[in-house]
Amino acid sequence: MHVHASHDQLQELIDNVSAMIYMKTIDEGRYILVNREWERLIKTSRHQVVNLTDHEVFPRELADKLRENDLGVARAGHTVQFEETAEFDNEIRSYLSVKFPVLDSAGKAYAVCGISTDITDRIRAEEQVRELNAGLEARVAERTAELEASTRELDAFAYSVSHDLRAPLRSLHGFSQAILDDYGPLLDDAGRGYLDRLQVNVKRMGGMIDDLLNLSRATRVDLKRESVDLSGLAREIMTDLSAAEPERTVTSVIADDLTATGDRALLRMVLQNLLSNSWKFTAKLPAATIEVGQIDHRGDQCFFVRDDGAGFDTRYADKLFTAFQRLHPAAEFEGNGIGLAIVQRIVRRHGGQVSAQSVLGHGATFSFTVTGHTEATT
Amino acid sequence: MIEGTILLVDDNPDDVVLTLRAFRTNNITNHVDVASDGEEALDYLLPDGPHPPRPVLVLLDINLPKINGLEVLRRIRTDDRTRYLPVVVLSTSSEDRDIVESYDLGANSYIRKPVMFNEFVDAVRVLGLYWLLVNQSVTAREGG
Repeated sequence: MHVHASHDQLQELIDNVSAMIYMKTIDEGRYILVNREWERLIKTSRHQVVNLTDHEVFPRELADKLRENDLGVARAGHTVQFEETAEFDNEIRSYLSVKFPVLDSAGKAYAVCGISTDITDRIRAEEQVRELNAGLEARVAERTAELEASTRELDAFAYSVSHDLRAPLRSLHGFSQAILDDYGPLLDDAGRGYLDRLQVNVKRMGGMIDDLLNLSRATRVDLKRESVDLSGLAREIMTDLSAAEPERTVTSVIADDLTATGDRALLRMVLQNLLSNSWKFTAKLPAATIEVGQIDHRGDQCFFVRDDGAGFDTRYADKLFTAFQRLHPAAEFEGNGIGLAIVQRIVRRHGGQVSAQSVLGHGATFSFTVTGHTEATT
Repeated sequence: MIEGTILLVDDNPDDVVLTLRAFRTNNITNHVDVASDGEEALDYLLPDGPHPPRPVLVLLDINLPKINGLEVLRRIRTDDRTRYLPVVVLSTSSEDRDIVESYDLGANSYIRKPVMFNEFVDAVRVLGLYWLLVNQSVTAREGG
């Protein structure tokens, strides 16, 4: 068996490789050999090219670059990879060139051999993928921005409408009061009663508008992140509630050191709504208990507000968090049904979830989680 | 109470009537001049002539036609003639942005107009008591 391949066999081998293969002397950069692919692309036969340099084959700039790379390989003394570009038939093509020094019998480098593989198509494909990805990301960003803009617009609309509605309400309330004050004696009880009803409804509508404003504020304001003392906030709110109705007997059990990371004003709104709810739905008890605490919920902080009041029918629990949904008749418990919608929006903006459990007639528990990450808008 | 004129800047005629009514209810008998937009307010407070009227208190709405209330406030505070004039912002808005900006521009007080007239009467009573009786203001002393 022949262990050494003949020169012809080697030439055959390199001629059938789809990459360009070439060898040049180090001292002057003259071609020693090239393969068929090289001949095809450069449109020069091997007999013509032998003893020429790159400067006699390529434009000066490219030839300078190729020579620089070849000398770099000679200096390095080992294989080096380059990305090289060259223009053939008015088309710029990219090559991955593996170049290595060829040593003489004394171990001294006398030539540089290169194998240049055309990677133009691969680079183009990569570029296309990059462009497609960038385009996709841009489209997603654009759509997200549009969505956020329309949410903001809707909130701004809700805000300005509610804001503008307050002025006519002020007139309604003010002038009905003026009639009562100035012409009250001219009216009978029924007439004064009608004006009272009018004022009660103006008051209700004023409350609804304020709740709507809070609802839109809950999504519009920028979220600040800080450590919030929920125990302290809960105590403050309970004190306010007791002060407004000192005749009621309500025991509040508030756990110490409840701390959440989030927006103080918004988290206060959450507690304000949940505690006011509990306060409201325990109104018929001679003595009520309202509890605020924390449980561990799969590693997230989960806080709860629990009362022993009227509770709600769990069949309708999913309606609780929708604006203007009420599970109790207005005459029985006052309210606009917006409080829990506000709670849900704020909790979601803090990356958390809110849930409610109850047995009708035996109290309710509202829980919410607060996580480290935030949802953009909801 | 301090004698002298109160300038009420409000473009809503109903609010003007109700505010005047709230003054009467609270026995605030000061003369009240009304400007119904920002431009009128500035013409009144900062005219080109030599003897501009010197109200003892300005009640200023924010949402005003032509020149809005915040701009009126800014100009009041940058003019030497009105720099120390007590200005109470009376607005429908409870937006943090409006409140903060009002104080940044030098408002002396910020009151959100309540929907309920009785609450408004209470607010006007406290406001009159404080700014026309309790408070010592620079303009009031100069005016005598």
